[in-house]
Amino acid sequence: MQLTIEPNNGIPIYEQLVRQIKYAIAEGVLVPGQVIPSVRDLAKQLTVNPNTVQRAYFQLQNEDVLQSLRGRGVAVCDGAKKQCVVDRQHLLAERLEAVLDEAIRGGLDEDRLRTMFEKALKSAIRTGDRQS
Amino acid sequence: MREVISVNRVSKRFGMRNALNNVTFSVPRGVVFALLGENGAGKSTLIRSMLGYVKLTSGIISVCGLNPLKNPLEIRRRVGYVSDAPGLYEWMTVAQAGWYVSGFYPEGFLKSYTQKINEFQLPHDSKIRDLSKGMRAKVALSLAMSFDPELLILDEPTSGLDPLVRRSFLESMIDRAAAGQTVFLSSHQIAEVERVADWVAILHKGELQIVAPLEELKSSVTILDLSLRDPLLALPEAMDQMEVLHRTQRGRTLHMMVRGFTPEIEASLSQNANLFEIKAIRPNLEDLYLGFTQPFESQFSHESKAQTSSAAKKSEVA
Repeated sequence: MQLTIEPNNGIPIYEQLVRQIKYAIAEGVLVPGQVIPSVRDLAKQLTVNPNTVQRAYFQLQNEDVLQSLRGRGVAVCDGAKKQCVVDRQHLLAERLEAVLDEAIRGGLDEDRLRTMFEKALKSAIRTGDRQS
Repeated sequence: MREVISVNRVSKRFGMRNALNNVTFSVPRGVVFALLGENGAGKSTLIRSMLGYVKLTSGIISVCGLNPLKNPLEIRRRVGYVSDAPGLYEWMTVAQAGWYVSGFYPEGFLKSYTQKINEFQLPHDSKIRDLSKGMRAKVALSLAMSFDPELLILDEPTSGLDPLVRRSFLESMIDRAAAGQTVFLSSHQIAEVERVADWVAILHKGELQIVAPLEELKSSVTILDLSLRDPLLALPEAMDQMEVLHRTQRGRTLHMMVRGFTPEIEASLSQNANLFEIKAIRPNLEDLYLGFTQPFESQFSHESKAQTSSAAKKSEVA
């Protein structure tokens, strides 16, 4: 699991951790049952405050993405993948909305936007096909 | 006792100059607490008075429940301290320095020191005078941590050190915090502080500007960039509901750092015909630091100065 933290990008560090761990589970980089690094190890690896990592782990435990195994650390929950895929879609939708919001403020009309979207979508699918 | 350090109405004058002016805050147990401020802001004076090196003009400091001036020995038993220029005996070897200092602390010191020296890959038999700046800093940090202090105080620990040494310093601080111990540091490395600190305090010209949990501070403050059609028109009333911490105006753009920006205010501002673009962003620590330490700019007219909040006036005077 490779996480990268940008402390000054406006998103709280614990939130960045929550999102990246969910993404890793959604993509299958982390699998259900897998034990993830302890709070102290991850804090040292990323050089971030351990209380911040703890907060991210707590939140993920509350959402039933992670579970604490007594004496063996913290692991990914069995049903976590499905939920993380849904959460990732929500996050993507939010980003898409932000881009659309910017475009509308910038004075682009609906038709123009739709054309741009179709074009971007086609090119993304082509790139995706080439990679797979 | 929840707080490890409590600083109460502390002032220190050097001749005519106020190094610290009525500073009050406390440091909760188990956090990484960072003190920011420009050169000469009073950071080192504050840190030195926590260790009993400085006699205060007025006010009280308590560290681990003790008065540093009255209990200097007990403070040294419980608090690890690394200054920005650690005083070590030049003629001792790395191993001798540990053996010498271990005499002042309970058993276990030397074992822990040796372990840290090995982790830092320091040569046991080299004389202190032959060590580089980074190696000296590592020796000082090892000495300060080897008696497992409940509080570690670091005065600009990473200034002048290369990225690798800085990283191992940060890891040591994280280790202390993960073990539930308190770390108090002063620093100019804002990016580092943003990663490791739970709490920040900003000192400017001897006055405390703000002390708060970092995440809370970031989420309560908003940076507003407003584009005005006519910069001479009065701003909408909704602006008065916010506490202005900093503002600069350049031609038709108004840049502000405010507290208390709500969706209602945003909605009300977006109705205003004079404002044609409103950008609200979450500040990072550097924005906050600059906002709290920079004076207001002179384009700011006198009439509107009178309307701003007390906090704004404070940062102007400071």
